[in-house]
Amino acid sequence: MQATKSFEQAFLKHLLRGCRLSAVSYKSMSLQERKSAIKLSADVAMASARGGRKWTRGLITKLSKEDEHRSFLQLILGTEYGRLTKPCHGSWKIPRSKKIVRRSLRVCSRRKNNLRAPHGVKSSVLARTLVEKRTHALKRLVPGVESLDGYSLLDETLDYVISLRAQVDLMQKLLTTFEASKLGALSKCTLPERKASFVGK
Amino acid sequence: MSSRRARSRQSTSSSRITDEQINDLVSKLQAVLPEAHIRGAERVSAAKVLQETCNYIRSLHREVDDLSERLTELLATTEASSAQAAIIRSLLM
Repeated sequence: MQATKSFEQAFLKHLLRGCRLSAVSYKSMSLQERKSAIKLSADVAMASARGGRKWTRGLITKLSKEDEHRSFLQLILGTEYGRLTKPCHGSWKIPRSKKIVRRSLRVCSRRKNNLRAPHGVKSSVLARTLVEKRTHALKRLVPGVESLDGYSLLDETLDYVISLRAQVDLMQKLLTTFEASKLGALSKCTLPERKASFVGK
Repeated sequence: MSSRRARSRQSTSSSRITDEQINDLVSKLQAVLPEAHIRGAERVSAAKVLQETCNYIRSLHREVDDLSERLTELLATTEASSAQAAIIRSLLM
């Protein structure tokens, strides 16, 4: 799945803004601090380019926990910061998800009761425990989904994974472009040619 | 009273998530995992998909970390970073 053009533009715009902003105080920053600033910019860029999901709000909230991060975020995002941190009205999803969990537990227990062999009982309980364990692990990895279950959790996870992939692809693209220009390819070809090769990838 | 109950029953049935919808999401998740092209259409258990999704998210986080480091090093050594930003901006047009 390829990132859309609008996502790409929004992402690169915010990432570059973050890079430029942190470059101002580069001289006084350690390499580790600079890397944190770049990574912060990349995460903010991803969340704002996607916008409007549980995980995007969760991520911005998580990144804003530290005061100095929050002011940096506000500089990158400007007026969008308020929109992205607004509490969402998705709480109605929770009762629906609980219904799924209850129904799947009922199905599991019905299956458990129908099976005579002890082996069958163990495997359904094991399957349920495994899914529960994975769900807990997922909730630690995907931001903002602590209150979700079932369908909503999977939906947010899918969206998050696709966005993460796009983030990686675009950062790689940016790196390649910077490296190419550093090697002096800049002087060799004209601007339209470089634009064509960048867009064509 | 009975009409109200009937109405509420109607609204819950229209908003109920079916098993099919959940299975659909699980297979969509399976399709974005790195081993999707090896597996093809072969269905894998939900627990396995969730486990691989967790592993994949962790590896994507590591990739972002590594790319951030490389970007930082590149930006630190370049003197023409503002020129490059101008170039990228023009590429975005």
